[in-house]
Amino acid sequence: MKSDTLKIAKWELMRYLTNKQYLISLVITPVIIVALMAIPTLLAILDKPRETTFYIVDELGILEQLRAGIAEPHIILKEAEDIDDLPEQIYNEKASGYILIDRDFWHSGEISYYYNKLNHEELGLIRSVLNGMLGAHRMQELGLDEEELAFLKEEVKVTRNALEKAETLDKNVIVVSVVFMALVFIMIFSAGTMLMQSALQERRDRMAEIVLSSIKPASLMQGKIIGHFLLAFIQIVFWLFVSIPGVIYFLNFPVFDALQASRLGMVFFFGLGGYMLYSSIYVSIGATMDDMQSAGNTQSLAMMLPMFSILFVAPIIENPDGLVSRFASLFPLTSPMTVVIRSVFVKIPLWEILLSAVLLLASIYLISRLAAKIFRVGMLMYGKTANFGEMMRWLRYKD
Amino acid sequence: MPGLQVCELCKSYANKLVADHISFSVQSGEIMGFLGPNGAGKTTTIRMIMGITAPDSGKIEFLDQKSQGIPCSAIGYLPEERGLYKESKVIGILRFLAGLKGVDRNTATQRAYKWLKKFDLTAYANRKVEELSKGMAQKVQFIATVIHEPQYIILDEPFSGLDPVSQDTFKYELRALADSGVTILLSSHQMNILVELCDKIFLINHGKELFFGRITDLQDLYGSFAIKLKLKDMAEMQRLSALPTVASVVQNGQNSVELLMKEGMNPQSLLKEIPVDIGLSELSLAKTSLHEIFVKIAKEASDEK
Repeated sequence: MKSDTLKIAKWELMRYLTNKQYLISLVITPVIIVALMAIPTLLAILDKPRETTFYIVDELGILEQLRAGIAEPHIILKEAEDIDDLPEQIYNEKASGYILIDRDFWHSGEISYYYNKLNHEELGLIRSVLNGMLGAHRMQELGLDEEELAFLKEEVKVTRNALEKAETLDKNVIVVSVVFMALVFIMIFSAGTMLMQSALQERRDRMAEIVLSSIKPASLMQGKIIGHFLLAFIQIVFWLFVSIPGVIYFLNFPVFDALQASRLGMVFFFGLGGYMLYSSIYVSIGATMDDMQSAGNTQSLAMMLPMFSILFVAPIIENPDGLVSRFASLFPLTSPMTVVIRSVFVKIPLWEILLSAVLLLASIYLISRLAAKIFRVGMLMYGKTANFGEMMRWLRYKD
Repeated sequence: MPGLQVCELCKSYANKLVADHISFSVQSGEIMGFLGPNGAGKTTTIRMIMGITAPDSGKIEFLDQKSQGIPCSAIGYLPEERGLYKESKVIGILRFLAGLKGVDRNTATQRAYKWLKKFDLTAYANRKVEELSKGMAQKVQFIATVIHEPQYIILDEPFSGLDPVSQDTFKYELRALADSGVTILLSSHQMNILVELCDKIFLINHGKELFFGRITDLQDLYGSFAIKLKLKDMAEMQRLSALPTVASVVQNGQNSVELLMKEGMNPQSLLKEIPVDIGLSELSLAKTSLHEIFVKIAKEASDEK
């Protein structure tokens, strides 16, 4: 039986490794991900901000100083000449408006903005530059020299000293943990979808009965799960192999130090556990469908299950010791992804981690047995997609 | 010495009995035909023999097998719902399926090529299944069924969708396998093929056995003789119907008639009765075809219900 499982795993593995589509997607997917991340940044760089024009009624003659202070090429400050024609001029030029800096400014600290368009952001910038100028001017009036001025403007500096047993949040560890979580997530999703399709294909190509006349359904299911685990693993190792040198070289990120600091054992245990749990759900769901389009409510819901974990990420970051976080890290359907995230922000007591692990293992055992039953019956049903009631009935069939 | 023995097999789905105390045995070297209309319980019975579905009660024994239970690697099974992985290569699939039955890679490759050659498919060994025609794919499925040299071969509707030439090839190969001592069980609803090929027949309808035995016994039991004549003059029909052994005369074509005999009458006495001066251009004597018997039995069985 064990060797049957391995034969299936090998067949699944070789089927994809010799498939051009798989190999292309192996290379293309990271390229697409990088492109998706890089393109918005690139576009933002290429797309210069829109020019906004302000007229300044400058009764103090500080326009040049203001211009120098702003130093944003898209904010254009023009000197107003005739205040009566200004509104007309502003409408015609589609300018933002005009700012009145009157003689009393140094004392009152007040300016008036007569606007066509409000343009908060740009106005804010102008205001902060004027703030600085006002402060400096007033200090000068009080008779302070440059050195004294600099002394006055100095900000508070903080020196951080960690205590020996400090609960430090190493940013690098967070990054590595999050990356690993993402990889586990991708693995569950991509391998899960592939597993589902593989079970579906077995039915579509009418191979299920031929294969099941040689081996037990459980061997077929386990073989598929192992085969697709290896495929996903190859995929992830390939991506890491390609990306780690880049991360070290370009971003100067201390990958190996951060890896050592992360709890890799826990990441692997829960990652693998999550895969085992979800893969048996996915493969059995695949066995209940005729094609992807015919997925019913039960199937769609089951496919969405891993997404459930994402709902808990925000509560965990906000309050890692709260009830919601505790629940998420114990509940087997969410624990594979949330325990690691939670452990980054808080030291989880050992008993809680062990309880999570035990609950996860128990669920894997239980769910894979139920999934095997659904898989067994589903594989031999042709021409229809099963609904929830039917699946429940299959669970009661004896072997 | 029986190769496969099935005793009192029962199975019901949703309180409907789909196999009702099915019993039969097939000896090694024999071909048994499983005959019945659609939904009669053929596939269910075959799936129980294969251990794909469990019977509610009854016993299935594979004799001469050392191990208990279903000897997967000693059986070649061609299910009714069958196909091949579309994106895979022919030789790859054959190796994979042979591997599942415990045949090593080299032996599997050798045997695959031997069979592909027999079926004139050597050129397709490294092609993908999706490039094959339906008939070719069915031949590949057949090879997959026999590549591990099984002692038992179980085929569910093996001839459906095959052209006559391929049907003959299959029949020839199955006969050769039986002659080499393989126990063969095949189901079909095509009577003519079963008559040609099978030693024994199991007639099933509504999950129940209607008949089990040799085809000749079935015909003795149910069939009377029919005599077909081609007359030069159709007016002679009158004279024929007046003969003492004849029950009725039916015209079934231009110039041709069929004489149906009265129950228990010997065909030879009928031949003697035919007047010498009747102009005949053709005469044939045949037992009622299995098709007619089958329709008759099935009809009787459903009338009883």
